[in-house]
Amino acid sequence: MTLPRWLPPLLFLLAVAAAAWRAPAPAIPEFSLPPSAATNRTPASFATAMLPTAAASAHAATLAELPDGRLAAAWFAGTREGAADVAVWFATLDAGVWSTPQAIATREGTAEATLAYVRKIGNPVLYAEGDRLHLWFVSVAIGGWAGSALNHSVSGDGGRKWTPPFRLQTSPFLNISTLIRAPPLPLADGGLGLPAYHEFIAKQGEWLRFSADGRIIDKVRMAHGRRTLQPSVAALDGRHALAILRDGGPAPGRIRAAKSDDGGRQWTETDALPLPNPNASVAMLRLRGGRLLIAGNGASNRNELLLWISDDAGKTWRPAPTVESVADASAEFSYPALLQTRDGQIHLAYTWRRQGIKHAVFNEAWLDGEEQ
Amino acid sequence: MSATALYGFVAHGIVFGAFIMLLPLGDRRRMLAFAAIPVALATGIASFMHGFAGTPSLTLLALAVWQLISIKPAPLTCRPALILLAFAIPFYAMALGLGPLDPYASGYQPLPLLAASLPLAALLWWRRLDNWLLILALALAGYASGIFANLFDVLFDPLLVLVALTVVIRHHARRVPNDG
Repeated sequence: MTLPRWLPPLLFLLAVAAAAWRAPAPAIPEFSLPPSAATNRTPASFATAMLPTAAASAHAATLAELPDGRLAAAWFAGTREGAADVAVWFATLDAGVWSTPQAIATREGTAEATLAYVRKIGNPVLYAEGDRLHLWFVSVAIGGWAGSALNHSVSGDGGRKWTPPFRLQTSPFLNISTLIRAPPLPLADGGLGLPAYHEFIAKQGEWLRFSADGRIIDKVRMAHGRRTLQPSVAALDGRHALAILRDGGPAPGRIRAAKSDDGGRQWTETDALPLPNPNASVAMLRLRGGRLLIAGNGASNRNELLLWISDDAGKTWRPAPTVESVADASAEFSYPALLQTRDGQIHLAYTWRRQGIKHAVFNEAWLDGEEQ
Repeated sequence: MSATALYGFVAHGIVFGAFIMLLPLGDRRRMLAFAAIPVALATGIASFMHGFAGTPSLTLLALAVWQLISIKPAPLTCRPALILLAFAIPFYAMALGLGPLDPYASGYQPLPLLAASLPLAALLWWRRLDNWLLILALALAGYASGIFANLFDVLFDPLLVLVALTVVIRHHARRVPNDG
């Protein structure tokens, strides 16, 4: 059968018109910042508690505040990192008591929803957006974490029920090597900017921009270095943001940094911060008063969990009180997650000796060294 | 389960069937190829391929369907295969981090790419390469469906590049004189 000569170009023109209609043409991005608020100077407070145990090995906690004010945490746990029984666990803190952890993402459930083989799952990130609670987590079909793909799920009822996970298409080569560790930032157009990273061949931070309806509409490399990963981002105003990144080179390293001056459209590598980083995850939070807070490890190992504060948008840093410090170099207090809740309390969740997740809650008075 | 997941799963089943068509299975080759599709879907082969290779491009799916149903040879001959390899290999290298440019990112806001497809389509039409023009139209229609977020994902994928590499190698192997 021979087609009329005019038919293929006509079909092509119809298809290209439909594709152009579908193609996003987003506005220039701008960060959305909560208004700065004066901090209430309450007496210094600092308290810690272990989250309930979900499995023998736990790692990579993430925090979010639910609309009703409860604190939510998620982390991955199983017999060991990368094991087939690892699940993403979820618990909430209500009136000072953590709920029993519930598995909200499993290897089997992810494979069933995506109709794709999954060998292991890992790093979760929670983010509360109005009544919606987002969960992103990574999954791997073959190989190590460098082969990760990104999955997304949403809860509309505070984490009880979740939509089936959807695998995001973020890489052209087998859709591998997009990982996450830190929460997204809200954008002025209703979308989100999610700090991500790439590990296959080169290690580098990435910035995924989502539209208000959840589509990926841009992907930007944060820095052109080949040894940075796990970015954590704080917006300084509508256009400026600072990203800190794990130094993926051999220890002792320093916390790497990148900045954006145009709402996340472009990121440029800046000088490393004068803060140590032993190739370990770091977290950064912009406090309500505008100060920046970083949580990370000491120079050589993960046996110290430290805090630093900047009063000048990241130009200079000073140490805050130490959260954990032991002489045993093999001890691990790592992968911090930071969140400031609406009541002004600052929450820190971190991996505690790989045996569980520890939660610390403190206020700015404690950060400033005031006596409890 | 999303439309994207369902597409990727079923498409890999069809791609697996097309692969069976390439095997030297005699007169029953086509029947076995069609029978392989539900087998791939039911036994986990398509699921494994989906997990390993991600969502297949519509170009690969179109060529797989062509392989299954047409008695004419598929249009992926040596020249288009070489053109695809010349584009895809540096594309993947850059997208994976070699160099500062990530060409894949432009596929998320593809209006300039769509504009660039117009002269390409005119060239295909002028050269009477209607099959490729129809495959390009199908790919763009697939992008318009919303199943794909990035335009490059509808156009090509690593399995298609592997097929192209096989086509080129086989073409040149046939040209080597038999010295026996």
